[in-house]
Amino acid sequence: MSAIFKQELKLNLRSILIWTLTVGGLGFICILMYTSMEGEVMEMADSFSRMGAFSDAFGMSTLSIATIAGFFATEVGTVHGLGSAMFAAFFASAMLSKEEDGHTGEFLYSLPVARWKAVAAKGIAILTGLILFTLVCGAFYVLGFVCLGEEIPGEEMARFLLGMLLMNAEIASISFLVSAASAKTRMGLALGISLIIYVYDIMGRVLPSMKDWLFLGPFSVANASEIFAKMEAPKYSIPVAVCVTLAAAAGAFLVYTRKDLAS
Amino acid sequence: MEEVIRIRNLTKTYGKKRGVSEVSFEVKKGEIFGFLGPNGAGKSTTIRSMLGFLRYQAGEIRVLGMDAGKDHERILERVGYMPSEALFYPSMKVSEVIRYAADVRGKDCAAEAEKLCDRLRVDTEKKIRELSLGNRKKVSIVCAMQHRPELFIFDEPTGGLDPLVQNTFFELIREYVKEGATCLLSTHILPEVRKYCDRAAIMKEGRLIRTDTVENLIHTTAKCVNLTADSRTESYLYSGDVNDLIRELSGKRLENLTIEDPSLEDIFLHFYESGKEGV
Repeated sequence: MSAIFKQELKLNLRSILIWTLTVGGLGFICILMYTSMEGEVMEMADSFSRMGAFSDAFGMSTLSIATIAGFFATEVGTVHGLGSAMFAAFFASAMLSKEEDGHTGEFLYSLPVARWKAVAAKGIAILTGLILFTLVCGAFYVLGFVCLGEEIPGEEMARFLLGMLLMNAEIASISFLVSAASAKTRMGLALGISLIIYVYDIMGRVLPSMKDWLFLGPFSVANASEIFAKMEAPKYSIPVAVCVTLAAAAGAFLVYTRKDLAS
Repeated sequence: MEEVIRIRNLTKTYGKKRGVSEVSFEVKKGEIFGFLGPNGAGKSTTIRSMLGFLRYQAGEIRVLGMDAGKDHERILERVGYMPSEALFYPSMKVSEVIRYAADVRGKDCAAEAEKLCDRLRVDTEKKIRELSLGNRKKVSIVCAMQHRPELFIFDEPTGGLDPLVQNTFFELIREYVKEGATCLLSTHILPEVRKYCDRAAIMKEGRLIRTDTVENLIHTTAKCVNLTADSRTESYLYSGDVNDLIRELSGKRLENLTIEDPSLEDIFLHFYESGKEGV
């Protein structure tokens, strides 16, 4: 099992690095842009906070983007949220189906490894990839604050990164289930699901009638504006995210260990 | 003799599509068993059911004394399987693939792998994506043999291999079998079965139509009749009374006639053309 885990990390190392450097690097650049935009942002902050639903959707009604925390939450929060969700979907959607899609399944499963062990090894590889991604991106963001000489909001940063990790785990878990059920890699479907989930969160914040259902979406556990404004995540959002993650992972196990492998 | 593979009434369907139906045969320890049939006959379905890739609807498969449906991890520890499609992770080097297969088995197979790579002339520094089909097949052979399994299962192994490598491949099989291994060789190449196998089973449209020693399959009571009469040439297998055959032939104006023992190819074609379940 450990051989499969190591193999998966090795095979995916390049894509993990590319995604991490892209999202983390973009976040870092965004943070550095704060000082050069500080004056203009101050002027815009007031009007941005009075744009009604639009301000709500992007958290500008709860935090002022004129502050570094507010700027980080609205700008980097969006970049990291979308980028990491797409990475999670991309990474997990091929993890199981690539064996059938690339016809390597007959090689892998002719080795003495039970399918459930292969699923477990691949699932742990996804989780490890997500943790690495989150840690390195977090390091980029902390470095950004250090470069600007700003105080690092440690507690909020930790809450933000942990929330994002949980959100990524939920999206990855759903994509993993898609991967288990399909003999072809459905990367487009998984990316589509992650984008729909993002749009669901935006709509939940814009439309008053949907606010009560916001907790169902994975993005609700990791809203940077709420976290940096020291607000709680919507009620039940964390238990729902944990339950969906576990249920989708269990579904992937059940589906994959019972299906016929395509040749 | 100890049965290494025992299949009883195996039935596997893919929804409404035919897979295999009521397949029963056994492979005994120390033999090279030919599993014959054209593409789509059900050979791969039978093998994939044996290895736990497919869930079959009915029947029983025991490999090395274990239930294929429940113990496939333990079975695979003692089996070397070479699939018909020799496909690996394209970005990996040959040496990495071979080592990965050994690592998953939790074994150090370096010495045997080196010996096999040497005999099959495998370039271990190349990336998989740079390899031709024949070279990928060689990597597949090394992965199937390096742990010195008790049972080899080869699914169409020689396609893409040059004649020299084919020869080395069969030499290796014979050496391992001499040391106590057993081999199931699935193929549609009849000379391979005739030359290397002790017994063979013939599959047709998802059903097993004959299992026998290769010797018996060739030296059947049936005769291959080739004749030219009234400017028409005919060739068929005849398994009835020879006197009846002579009487039947005497009514024709023969230009040419040979009656001989049929080749394995003749018998195989006979099964496929006539649909008979026995000669």
